[in-house]
Parts: sequence; structure tokens; C-alpha cells
Amino acid sequence: MADDKILIVMTSGPDTPRRCATPFFMATLAAAMDYEVAMFFTIDGTLLLKKGLAETIFPKEGGKSVGEFMKEAIEAGVKITACSASLELHGLTSNDLIPEAMIVGGASMWQMAEESKTVLSF
Amino acid sequence: MTIIRGCNFPDEFFYYPEKHLWLKSLGGNLFRVGLTPVAGKLAGGRLNAVTIRAKNIGVEVQQGKSLATLESSKYVGPVPAPITGVVKTANEKLATDPNLVISDPYGEGWVVEIEATRWTEEKDNLLTGPDGLATYQQKLEDAGISCD
Repeated sequence: MADDKILIVMTSGPDTPRRCATPFFMATLAAAMDYEVAMFFTIDGTLLLKKGLAETIFPKEGGKSVGEFMKEAIEAGVKITACSASLELHGLTSNDLIPEAMIVGGASMWQMAEESKTVLSF
Repeated sequence: MTIIRGCNFPDEFFYYPEKHLWLKSLGGNLFRVGLTPVAGKLAGGRLNAVTIRAKNIGVEVQQGKSLATLESSKYVGPVPAPITGVVKTANEKLATDPNLVISDPYGEGWVVEIEATRWTEEKDNLLTGPDGLATYQQKLEDAGISCD
């Protein structure tokens, strides 16, 4: 059983590659510390969940892709949620996103925040 | 010392192969815990940080729960408790030199000392002796892991 819940709100997207790895890295670390971790993707962050896109984004030339950081987080047990309104913003549907992404309403973010010991925003 | 696929394993230690941990008996129910060279190899041969959870010191941690975390450019993950027990001491040297875990895995690179509270029930989950090392060798071969 997890110790406490942590929520990471991700608003950064493909336009700012260097802001896109650390949130997944921090999420993976928190899961390794036995926290129950959820990430909530909204605004441009949602674009990272588009199938195949994260694999094309490299925060550092020659380094790991954002897709690899995301895969590590998912394998560590991090829950991925996407804001339904942000899908509309970008003209996306649920079929465009990776299968691990769960689409939730904006109110779910408030609920997750209320239940979490710590909320981080990137 | 037994060498398996290029990795050194002291014969008298116990091993928790899921996360490549070793345990050395310090007498009574006290055990020192560290990482085998296999863990260092999988982490890419260089660590950026080993962080021991301060909240665990002095309290009982269940087998499998996170004792510490490893960070490298290749790997981020937990160091789980190989046995249930009270964490007595953490290796403070790792805060300034996390790579002791790799450069001296069975010496200065130990991670924590634990006083086992369920040793009788849990020791059978660990590998030790010639049979245990043979099982570990098979696991490494199956996974295609070597220290070379």
C-alpha cells in the first residue's frame, strides 16, 4: 500500500522540450519511494500523450526522449490522466492518446489535489 | 568469492535477486544491506544519487517497501527492503559519494543496516550458498545480464 498521494500537474508541452523530462523523472522517483503518484496533463501537456509524439521530443541532444521518461514513469506505476477540455483545445480525441491515459474532467484535478499530500506543477 | 558472469558474489552473503541486493549477517538479527555489482551495471556504471529515506530510520519496514532510491542517467528506481526489519543505520557516506555503491559494493558502499524482525519466515526467500548462487546465475543468464 502506498504511503501518501502525490499529484503532478503538467502544462508544458512539445514547445518546451527541456521542461518535459523532469516531471516524469520526479514522478518515477516518487513512485520508487512508495508514493501513489498521479499526473494530470492539461493545456500543452496533453500533447505529450499523443501517440508517438513524446518519442520525438529530446530535452537534450543525444539523450533520452520524453517518451522514454514517460515509459519509465508508467512502468513505475504512475497514473496518467488527461484533462478532457485540453483535448478539445488541441482537436484531439481519446483515440489519439496513448492507451495508459485516462481522460478526466477538470473537477477530477481538484479532487486529486484535495487527496494528495503534495501537488507539483510544471 | 564466486564470480558469475563477471560479477563478484561473496559466498557467505544472502541475496535478494529481484533488485540485486545483498545481506551480510553482523551477528544476532542484524544485517548489513547493499547492492551487488549487477545493480551497478544495470544503473549504467555511474550513479547521480543514492537517497536513503530518512523517515525509515528507527522504524520497521516491511519486506519489499522502499528503503532508498537510486538515480542515474540510465535508471531511476527503488532499493526495496529485502527483509522486514527495523532500519538501524544508514550509510551517510553515500550522500556525498553515491558511487561507493559501485566502486566498493561489499565494503564502503553498503546502504543500510537492518535488525530483522521476521528472519525465520523470510530467510527462505533469499538465496545463499552454492545452490543459491547457482539459482542467481540462472536468473542472470535468463535475463542476459553480465558485469563484463
